[in-house]
Order: sequence, then C-alpha cells, then structure tokens
Amino acid sequence: MMDEYVLIACSVLVLIGMTAAILHRDPFDKLISLSLLIAGIFPFIVDRGYLDVAAATALIAPLSTIFILHVCRRETA
Amino acid sequence: MIAIYVCAGIAVYAAIRIIAERNTMRKLPFLNVVSFAVTGIIALLLPHPLTILAAAAYFVGSTLESNAIASTWSGGIKK
Repeated sequence: MMDEYVLIACSVLVLIGMTAAILHRDPFDKLISLSLLIAGIFPFIVDRGYLDVAAATALIAPLSTIFILHVCRRETA
Repeated sequence: MIAIYVCAGIAVYAAIRIIAERNTMRKLPFLNVVSFAVTGIIALLLPHPLTILAAAAYFVGSTLESNAIASTWSGGIKK
C-alpha cells in the first residue's frame, strides 16, 4: 500500500513534470518533461491494483513519444 | 519499508536534477534514473505476482522512450 511519503514523492514528480512541460520552449525538453509526468502517474495506477492497465499503458506511452519525435525531427531538419 | 522510501527519494532527487540542468544532453541520464526508481516503486508497492510483470513492462517501455529521445536528439547517422 502507498503511504503518504510515497504519495507525496509521486505527486512531486507529476507536478515537476507538468511545470517543466509548460515552461520549456525546446521540444526535446518538453518530451523529457512529459516522460517525467508519465513516470509519476504509474505508481497511482499500480496502487489501485490495475496491473493490466499499468502494463498496457507502459507499452503504449513510448509509442506516442516516438510519434511525437517524428514530428520534432521533421520540424528541426 | 525503507527500500520504497529510498526509491522515492532517488526519484524526486533525479527529477529536481532534471529541471536544474540547462543542457538537454545532461537531462537524459537523470531521466533514466527516474525510470529505474519508479520501476522500484512499482515492484515494491503491491505484494501481487502480476506486479513484477507491470514493472518489467514499464522498465522496457521507459528505456525505449529515453533511448528514442537520445538517439533523435543526437541526430543519427551523419551523411
């Protein structure tokens, strides 16, 4: 079970990722911050016992990042 | 119970180091550190046999994501 220290740590991870994704201007920095945000939400999914949802999301979320990376490379090159 | 606190502390410290670094290349190792720490939190959170599958899936996915960002940022093969 998740107690308050781990809950605060994961909430800090989500909030840092959200703030950095808003404030950064470089698209790669935005993607790194978005990856930090996604890393922060996973313990909340696992804490409720939705382990199949967590496994599916862990395999689908990098695919969306790779699709956004293609868009970034098209703009910079 | 102390192990999950250590993992949470490492995750928060690496997240603070990510937003403190100005160079994009120096952010990427700390993104890997966050992924490892969150994998540890997921594996230690529930005493269920399917938890290790979710942790392994997250480990594979986050490593793929970090390496995709790093290889695209570095530019690939120069022609």
